[in-house]
Amino acid sequence: MSVTPAVPSCYVGTRVPRVEDPRLLTGAGLFVDDVTRPGMFHACFVRSPIPRGRIFSIDTSEAEALDGVHAVFVASDLNPRVHEQKYALDGPFMPSLNWPPLAEDEVRFVGDPVALVIARDRYIAEDAAELVAVDYDALTPVVDYATADTNEELVHAQFPGNNAGGMAIPPSEDLLRIFDEAPHVVSRTIHQQAYIAVPMETRGLVAEWTKSTGEMTIWASTQSPHEVRAFCAKLLGIDEHRVRVLMRDTGGGFGQKVVPQREDICIMLAATMLPFAVKWIEDRQEHMMSAGMARQEHGEARMAFDADGRILAATLDHVQNVGAYPIPSPITAASAVGMLFPGPYRIPAATFSLKLHYTNTVGRVAYRGPWQYESMAREVLLDSAARRIGLDPAELRRRNMYSSDEFPVAAPTGMPFSDVTPRETFEQALAMLDYDAFRREQEQARAESRYIGVGTCTYLEPTAGATPFHSTEGATIRIEPSGKVNVYVAGGSSGNSLETTVVQLTADALGVALSDVNTIQGDTAVSPFGAGTGGSRSGAMTAGAVGETASVLRERILAIAAHRLEAAPEDIELAESRATVRGVPGAGLSLQEIADIAYFQTETLPPGVPPGLEASGRYRAENMMIWANATHLCTVEVDIATGAVKFLRYIVSEDCGPMINPNVVEGQIWGGTVQGIGGALYEHLAYDETGNPVTTTFMDYLLPTTTEVPDIELGHIETPSPGPGGHKGVGEGGAIGSSPAVVNAVADALSPFGVEITRLPLTPSTIVSMIEQARTVTA
Amino acid sequence: MKPAAFDYHAPATAEEAVALISELGDEAKFIAGGQSLMPMLNLRLAVFEHLVDLRRVQTLRGIEVRGDSVWIGAGTTHSTVGRSEQIRTAVPLLSRATPLIGHFQIRNRGTIGGSIAHADGAGEYPAVALTLDAEIETLSPGGTRTIPASQFFTGMWSTDLAEDELITGITFPVAPARSGYAIEEFTRRSGDFAVAGALVALTLAEDSTIERCAITTFGLGPTATRATVVEQALTGGAVAEQDPEMVARDVLAGVESISEDLHGPVEYRKRVGTAMVARAWQRAVEEATHG
Repeated sequence: MSVTPAVPSCYVGTRVPRVEDPRLLTGAGLFVDDVTRPGMFHACFVRSPIPRGRIFSIDTSEAEALDGVHAVFVASDLNPRVHEQKYALDGPFMPSLNWPPLAEDEVRFVGDPVALVIARDRYIAEDAAELVAVDYDALTPVVDYATADTNEELVHAQFPGNNAGGMAIPPSEDLLRIFDEAPHVVSRTIHQQAYIAVPMETRGLVAEWTKSTGEMTIWASTQSPHEVRAFCAKLLGIDEHRVRVLMRDTGGGFGQKVVPQREDICIMLAATMLPFAVKWIEDRQEHMMSAGMARQEHGEARMAFDADGRILAATLDHVQNVGAYPIPSPITAASAVGMLFPGPYRIPAATFSLKLHYTNTVGRVAYRGPWQYESMAREVLLDSAARRIGLDPAELRRRNMYSSDEFPVAAPTGMPFSDVTPRETFEQALAMLDYDAFRREQEQARAESRYIGVGTCTYLEPTAGATPFHSTEGATIRIEPSGKVNVYVAGGSSGNSLETTVVQLTADALGVALSDVNTIQGDTAVSPFGAGTGGSRSGAMTAGAVGETASVLRERILAIAAHRLEAAPEDIELAESRATVRGVPGAGLSLQEIADIAYFQTETLPPGVPPGLEASGRYRAENMMIWANATHLCTVEVDIATGAVKFLRYIVSEDCGPMINPNVVEGQIWGGTVQGIGGALYEHLAYDETGNPVTTTFMDYLLPTTTEVPDIELGHIETPSPGPGGHKGVGEGGAIGSSPAVVNAVADALSPFGVEITRLPLTPSTIVSMIEQARTVTA
Repeated sequence: MKPAAFDYHAPATAEEAVALISELGDEAKFIAGGQSLMPMLNLRLAVFEHLVDLRRVQTLRGIEVRGDSVWIGAGTTHSTVGRSEQIRTAVPLLSRATPLIGHFQIRNRGTIGGSIAHADGAGEYPAVALTLDAEIETLSPGGTRTIPASQFFTGMWSTDLAEDELITGITFPVAPARSGYAIEEFTRRSGDFAVAGALVALTLAEDSTIERCAITTFGLGPTATRATVVEQALTGGAVAEQDPEMVARDVLAGVESISEDLHGPVEYRKRVGTAMVARAWQRAVEEATHG
């Protein structure tokens, strides 16, 4: 059922200041490291310094003898205590990964946790960690993921060929014939480097076991407190209601914090053996080594075109690194790459293959738009094809891109695209730039030996996907006797402004003043179950949940007001916490007066209306997913002496449906875009050829900062989705569309040299060497 | 990322500081702004039993014009140097180099003496000191001495300083008329260590021939390097006749031990170094010629 009540929007759609901001901007947020418990101890992991090796022995005696050290745990202390490892996110059909919490007989990447020190403070814990003597027999690591399938060394003995899964839809004979007979066939392979989410708050948790009652309390840095609770209960084999998970602020998640990882598991297990709370807060060096990797993959993308540049068919052969211990299961997101590869283009036939390879590097984790490679492969190929065929890349796209009036469309890979506006965002972005003027400017610049270029990326993005775990969202609303409103939702906001969103939605759904609404999130003891933030789901799903619950209360408020004001319920108007009778000036009741009736004058309630003003409801997604779309466009100048890339303009035209709060939408797009700029130009979680990580501090792992990032100009097209409020997800798209647009802009700037980009990131030295190589080839 | 335990000392005078460091031996280290030392301690790449903090030593701070030179106390922060009007007019190269050092938070804490004592091959202040023939004043239990910059930097993070010797101040010559100064550096991001950098200091004679020139590259090897052979060849020549690209190529031909790192191979860093020298030369010539 549609739950969006026909009420006027006062707050939804407006730039309401974020309710989180006063505490966050004054340094009063509550993150894991701000949590202190009486007598709390601190944890530090001993980690493998080698990429692969057999553990001969671990001597903890010197560490244990250090003053202030309570215990040093190794695998044999913790791992047998695991009852079950099962992520709700993985759903019922995905096999459990069952990775060992601490490394048992073999270490599998630099940073693999081997032992856990519990000490009075983190300083002592680090001193003790240095004293744990681990004797390793080094083994040959599997470092290069691309050749891991033919490597005789195995990351996990039980996975021959280092095979971590895959799928393939073999090309049909028809498809092969199209490629054989097409006037133009263009093929490109682009290698994307490993890069990572880098939340400001590293991973961490405080775990406190109360032995007398068998209860666990966890303060977590998480995107999903209910996932942490469900997981911990299964892990320890205790009832779910004996686990309470709390989080107020989480300093960034970006997918990395959707599920507990191995270190979190160790802390949960260890806590049950400790007579005090224990805190683990990861330092940045540990984070860079062991919090997980993303984006490392390559693929051969091929497209067949007719003589006019119309796409006839497309294929993608895609290979991904999943590291040693991917978490959660990477296969779902990886298979989405091939399925989404056709994107917003009319492609009559397509297929793809996928292979996932284990290596002795840090495990793959979810990262904002985990299937982003579909856009990279497709959009870079299209620019290449335009150069090959001799068409302007914008013109090539115009000949192939869908307009909104052509949807719904089933992609040849089965994706049911609907309610999107790719061509419209594309045209809006080109108009914002004045594309033709830029091309003239480019011609002039080249005459002066200046190299400027423009690149675009247009994509369709599944949001709010109704997987079993993600398919519902609940909300409880309590209008207190004072008339003030508390809204309880699962939470998991990691900078996503979910509190502001919920307050806005509730104020409109109930017709109350924004200042009367408060929201309580991130405490599993009081909030309804929910999957947390992830999958660009929170806007649409909480709109559904709040709408579902508010409609019940709204009806009750109207009934009470109508009864007291002696009017028909349909003549009552609710706005700004006041019920009035349409056409009768002066006749009205405040929400406080209505609440007073509901709680304290229950004998005067109309017949059939229950006392109190409290309700819970749960929204069930009606769509398998809600599609969103955007076009990223940027212009750059490349200094060919140094290889430096400077942004001239950066434009995003997007369609996330009606915006709940433009400030929040803009923040999401800007943040995602910056991460993609980092991926294209700066960030690289690099390993040397022997499997050692070489970027474990911010001196070597380069994040774009405010001095590198251009102003990001936004254009909006708002077409409603079929979901609640017509809202679409907007959390991930920025991180999908940006890197391909940047890569295309650099390639366009360098096109006079005949440069084709095959490897990322585009560091200044790689740009210079590409130019030099192209010159050598030409000469 | 917590440092190993250390004892903390905070003497009030330079004499006390050197006496302490002399007494504590090689398990002790001076700490000034701590902008390089603290990360190394936190990462446990360096471990000291004692830190002797210099922040209470008032005599290490200040900027004084003394005739045709400028004295800067070793404990003067980068941001104080960067804001100084006296330095802007008397030692413009130092002013121009300052904003390139790290980020403002680092400049608020880091000190000129600390930067020179740390002697990072990519450091801006060591390169400026070398370019301008600055003199480094020191104090040790044995007394004071003055070390010319050309003899001070002996390798990556190594200097002519004895274990118990403290830099008290640095003296720079006041810029003469008809001079031009430029610093150019290429970094991956604003505030990063230079992939390659160059400084040019140029003074012209009345007839626009080159009276003094100093060309320094930094960020390429273990220390900043003066291109003395090229400088000598250029001195006495007409400035207008020099091709910046040729000057730059000659300078880089003389730079040895360029190292490869994450940001690029040797050839690339050489290329960027060449571009930096050429750009710095052009700007310095422009300033010396037209003011």
